[in-house]
Amino acid sequence: MDAREDIILSVENLHICFRNGEEKTEVLRGLSYQLQKGKVLAVVGESGCGKTVHALSILKLLPPGGEITAGRILYQGQDILSLSGEELRKLRGAQLAMIFQDPMTSLNPIRTIGKQLVETILAHTSCSRLRARARAVHLLKKVGIPNARQRLNEYPFQFSGGQRQRIMIAMALCLNPSVLIADEPTTALDVTIQAQILKLIKKLQRQSAMAAVFITHNLAIVADIADEVLVLYGGYCVERAEVKNLFAQPMHPYTQGLLGSLVSLKRKEEHLPAIEGYPPAPGTPEQGCPFAPRCPYAADQCRRVLPPLVEHNGHTVRCWWVEQNEISCGN
Amino acid sequence: MLRYILRRLLLLPLVALGVTFLLFFLTQRLSPEMRASLYIKDPRQMGALEEVIQKYGLRDNVFKQYGRWLSGALQGDLGYSHSANMPVSQAIKEYLPATIQLAVVTIVLVVFFGVWFGVVSAVKKDKWQDVCARLISVGGFSLPIFVLGLLLLMLFYGKLGWFPPGGYSVSTDVIVHSPAFHSYTGFLLIDALLNGNFKVFLDVLRHLVLPAVTLCIGSFALMVRVMRSSMLEELGKDYVRTARAKGLPEHAVVYRHAGKNAVIPVITLAGIQFIRLLGGTVIVETIFDYPGIGRFGVTAAQQLDIAGIMGFSLMVAVLFVLGNLVSDVLYTAVDPRIKLSD
Repeated sequence: MDAREDIILSVENLHICFRNGEEKTEVLRGLSYQLQKGKVLAVVGESGCGKTVHALSILKLLPPGGEITAGRILYQGQDILSLSGEELRKLRGAQLAMIFQDPMTSLNPIRTIGKQLVETILAHTSCSRLRARARAVHLLKKVGIPNARQRLNEYPFQFSGGQRQRIMIAMALCLNPSVLIADEPTTALDVTIQAQILKLIKKLQRQSAMAAVFITHNLAIVADIADEVLVLYGGYCVERAEVKNLFAQPMHPYTQGLLGSLVSLKRKEEHLPAIEGYPPAPGTPEQGCPFAPRCPYAADQCRRVLPPLVEHNGHTVRCWWVEQNEISCGN
Repeated sequence: MLRYILRRLLLLPLVALGVTFLLFFLTQRLSPEMRASLYIKDPRQMGALEEVIQKYGLRDNVFKQYGRWLSGALQGDLGYSHSANMPVSQAIKEYLPATIQLAVVTIVLVVFFGVWFGVVSAVKKDKWQDVCARLISVGGFSLPIFVLGLLLLMLFYGKLGWFPPGGYSVSTDVIVHSPAFHSYTGFLLIDALLNGNFKVFLDVLRHLVLPAVTLCIGSFALMVRVMRSSMLEELGKDYVRTARAKGLPEHAVVYRHAGKNAVIPVITLAGIQFIRLLGGTVIVETIFDYPGIGRFGVTAAQQLDIAGIMGFSLMVAVLFVLGNLVSDVLYTAVDPRIKLSD
């Protein structure tokens, strides 16, 4: 099939800055990817690598001070950044929906969840309030809230964290969006609930053939849900690959470190393996590879020149070491 | 909820008891002779001083005297106010409705403009609208109410002649006190409408405008500030981002979502300000010659009208408790998370 026609969301050379007075901090430095219909892209990285900021920028929801300094975000070939307020509003929630990190604070505390669901539907369609309510009940059932009809009249504080995230998911799915952006949707939940929510998102995503950008810092989640993985480090994409390839054969030393520090029940180790050092503070001056200070293979060149993104065996990697030792990674 | 209200109402007598006893105790600091002299209008009758002291038992123990006042108060007799030349209870009945009327109109203006300016100020933070709203509110806050009142009087009565300087028109006074005019509520605005007398209604309204505007400018500054900071806080919250991400129009995000949450602290403030208005419109009532309860309280204090002072403070205490209760109940109406526990 023609891959170009199938691309629903494409991010091109995205740069995002935070401005504090005269001071500018660059948090995302040229991110590019393409998302195909019905596929799931996982964006993985540590805190401060720019993953959430990138997610918010897709809906133009950057907090005050944040601005997109360069690049384009194309939804079905149309640049989101050049849309008028009303065009953008029509896109948000209807075509591009978002689930946020913290379900405890993401719902309006003094509005019944029924109203919050119904207003979403009514903002984009001209159906009657009654129809919208029926749809809301249907959606709540779909995400696994029992007694949906009665619970429509309850307030967020009457639901548990997991249930609230289910409601957020129902809200995102109100209008059958074609792209779902999930910003660490399970981070604020405890582990057993995490698995349930993930399963639910995966099921609903498959059912409606919705494309999704899944932001997470948890690699274990990625294996389950994603088709493709993009690893962010210090505002750069350092590796991008099909999920199977990435797990079977991580190329970038950072990805290797991440996978190496996953805890396995089979291994019996005294210490949890970890990557030495700390991620760079956002806005660290651009010089060389951002991972060089923590990289076991770092050479002189790594500290001086930023490596380009290059394709190797189906991976796109930004690393001098991989470039020079292609044999060690290939077969 | 009902039990909560009942419990609070049960506390009311205790508060009233405390306030009145403290005040009564303070008035006892005046010697019996001084208090007795207040009953005597003519200096030539000073010889009757001892007689008055005996008659009213002014030398008795504080508790005994307070007990006498209290038993009277419990039977609805708050004593005779010589500053108002009528029984205290009648004075309250006559003057309080006018003040409540003024306070209600004022608080409605304050809340409406305070919330509106506060929201605009927050949404347009650091833009010219915000600067204007802040300038107006700081100006209103720092201008003493008597200066403001006099300025408004000079402008709208003296120069433009749009509004009357004070006191109801003679025709209104005549109509209101005629037997044909039924006093249903004591509130002239409502009574005039109920009597179908539109002329009286308009006259009363015209007399309300300047005092209400003066009071409003004085207290709305605080409202704007509270609303602005509350609104700024709410606008930064996650659920506002969710509302935008859902594709709601901006006015729905600002008013329906952030605004409703931001208005919660304003309710407390409005409650406090309303009660303060009831007891503290003295200056405005004096400037605009408005027949309200504040003026009665001040005259009573100036003339050492002990019965008047006691009655006035008892009324303020009761209103204070009731006002707080009302704002507590209002909370539950706005915020579902708050349940008044039994």
